[in-house]
Amino acid sequence: MTATKLMKVALLGNPNSGKSTLFNQLTGLRQKVGNFPGVTVEKKSGKFVLQDLEIELIDFPGAYSLYPTSKDERVVVESLCNPEDENYPDAVIYVADATNLEKQLLFFHQLRDLGFPIVLVLSMLDIAMRDGLDVNIGLLEKELGVRIIAINGRSGEQTDALKKLFYQELYQANAPSTPRLAYQFSQVENAVAQQIQEIFPKINHYHALLLAHHYKWLSRLTTEQKNKIEAINQQHGFVDLKFQIRETMQRFDRFAPILPKILKISGGERSSNTEWLDRFLTHRLWGVVFFFLIMLLTFQAIYTWASYPMDWIEWVFAWSSNQLKLLLPDAWFADLLTEGILAGLGGVLVFIPQIAILFFLISILEEVGYMARAVFLFDRLMQRFGLNGRSIVALISGGACAIPAIMSTRTIANPKERLITILVTPLISCSARIPVYTVLIGFVVPAITVGGIFNAQGLVFMGLYVLGILSALISALVFKYVLKTEGYSFLMLELPEYRMPVFKNVLLTVWEKVKSFILEAGKVIMLISIVLWFLASYGPPRQMEQARAEALSLAAAENMDDDATQDLVAARQIETSFAGYLGKFIEPVIQPLGFDWKIGIALITSFAAREVFVGTMATIYSIGSSDDEYSIRDRMAKERNPITGEPIYTLGTSLALLLFYVFAMQCMSTLAVVRKETGTWKWPAIQFFYMTAMAYISALLAYQFLG
Amino acid sequence: MIQSVKKSICQLAPKQGGVVQSFSNDQVGSKLMTMGMLPGTSVELVRYAPFNGGCYIKAGKHYLALRRDEAQCILLEG
Repeated sequence: MTATKLMKVALLGNPNSGKSTLFNQLTGLRQKVGNFPGVTVEKKSGKFVLQDLEIELIDFPGAYSLYPTSKDERVVVESLCNPEDENYPDAVIYVADATNLEKQLLFFHQLRDLGFPIVLVLSMLDIAMRDGLDVNIGLLEKELGVRIIAINGRSGEQTDALKKLFYQELYQANAPSTPRLAYQFSQVENAVAQQIQEIFPKINHYHALLLAHHYKWLSRLTTEQKNKIEAINQQHGFVDLKFQIRETMQRFDRFAPILPKILKISGGERSSNTEWLDRFLTHRLWGVVFFFLIMLLTFQAIYTWASYPMDWIEWVFAWSSNQLKLLLPDAWFADLLTEGILAGLGGVLVFIPQIAILFFLISILEEVGYMARAVFLFDRLMQRFGLNGRSIVALISGGACAIPAIMSTRTIANPKERLITILVTPLISCSARIPVYTVLIGFVVPAITVGGIFNAQGLVFMGLYVLGILSALISALVFKYVLKTEGYSFLMLELPEYRMPVFKNVLLTVWEKVKSFILEAGKVIMLISIVLWFLASYGPPRQMEQARAEALSLAAAENMDDDATQDLVAARQIETSFAGYLGKFIEPVIQPLGFDWKIGIALITSFAAREVFVGTMATIYSIGSSDDEYSIRDRMAKERNPITGEPIYTLGTSLALLLFYVFAMQCMSTLAVVRKETGTWKWPAIQFFYMTAMAYISALLAYQFLG
Repeated sequence: MIQSVKKSICQLAPKQGGVVQSFSNDQVGSKLMTMGMLPGTSVELVRYAPFNGGCYIKAGKHYLALRRDEAQCILLEG
């Protein structure tokens, strides 16, 4: 069967209406995730074939009306008010939650007036009935003049039956052929709409009225058209807010009287579980305690549970790299394959467990309805720092890894608050900093006990974490005043009823996040990883050969064993590699921090990921075959300045290096994800520079005053 | 200013209720209306958030979280 007709169908509805569940049910894994044109609002679409009809279903962001107050809601108006838009639908499926019908009819009513063929899907009918609510569907169909499909609950049954129904309904869906609008225009609105229709002859009366309301920001309009509409508005004294309220009130007045006939409440109103649960979950003390318990669990999950699959992934890659090395001839392409490509691929895949676990937990909390409560609890606190109630989830997850944390900011509706969250999250000390801290901390404080119970090194460790948190909050505060504010920021959040999560939705979210990370950020990580491999393994060929020969003869003279010989060769070669040259090149810049060129090499290679610092140190000090943190620390302690004979790792240098790693944006994967989430290289660049500047200045101060 | 005399929902103690009469800010008002809170809707201030935060409000059958300055715009009858 081949489809002969392509139909674009918009899936619209209020937030929490069950829209996404229906979308997942209809499209399953055949979803495509992209952005709406010109904005970073996520667009999900999916295709399915119904007999001779191919339907492209577009899942629009949840909206309450055609009068948007957020970027997400604006997308809906941009697409629906522009017949040229790539997402302009041929028909609309409107999803409304049967338990809460009244306010959801407003948007439906407006869409109908806009002239789209429309089908109404009533979701959660079983929950409504369980709550003692009886919906007279036949009467509702008659009153609204629309076909209604009722679906039970939020589970994924009856998909085929549903599709068949859509096939019938979308063909039959009756567009009001004559523009008989439900909304009765006032004189002024009439005059304005009529004149606008003269400029755009193809649009209907209500569409014209919407242009009068939204012309200022609609991207389909040219400046000339905007000026014309403004003139028309002025001529008639059109005040948009006043008419918007008039329209809303009139529409509610139209359907409010018919609702008691349609919705029958039997057996009295049940006292809802939601109210009972919220007494605890949004309590000013217990609510906060519960939130931190949940976050502790989340943190524990991405920190501890994820480490097992991460170890397996690392092991598999190390093993296959070794196997390949044995199989392949000793040539540049074998190195490229094992040290460059395979290592890069491993570097991408190793993040999957953390991403999957975090989004599994977050989307359960989202599905259940808890996230809105967390926002309610922390909105005010986070607002002070220019952040959002939801930012706290990203900040806490950032303690395990900034990558899933930054990906979780998608749900922050306010663009400025989301951007600030993305910019400051990498300052929270992530798990990749731990090996670096472990190696260096011994040079800063001895392992003694203070105050009888506290381990001094443990205290410094904690201090580094606190430093990360404080710097994130202070930076957020600075960005709050530096970045420009777009429009008014609302909280105005619906606190939905608590519901059982739909696991299909949860799993699809996890799948989609993992997939988009691999496809989008993965490319950049691979590329940088290959570049870094090249820099660390290649140098001017003659010098590299010479270094190798020298190392070999020295090893022979000293009677070294195989491992030690190889370590020495590796150490000499990284010195003469391009990375080595770069390290020497940047030495004048990092000398004021107390760093020599060897540390410079580690700074360059650990741009791949902070923990690479330890491995590079091992290679440079020619103990590459051991990557135990303590043996590296012992070796570093013996390192002396060749001229003065003083130890390199003094208190000043070590503290400077520690502070550098607290603040510096030493993680290409995070930058790749920030690029993906913000849609431009501008923000990762700004982030890289401000964090490196903070790192440099604090390291400089530490070394100059203590060194 | 007549409006300043009217009682806003923020002046209620937790668990107290009232009926929405009007909104002192049209922008906030129009958004609240699309979320189902209209003049004539009975409302209850359920509780306040910690850290001097927003209000948990029950409007008809819905629960809403509002910032204080947003809730300040909801004027009650009587």
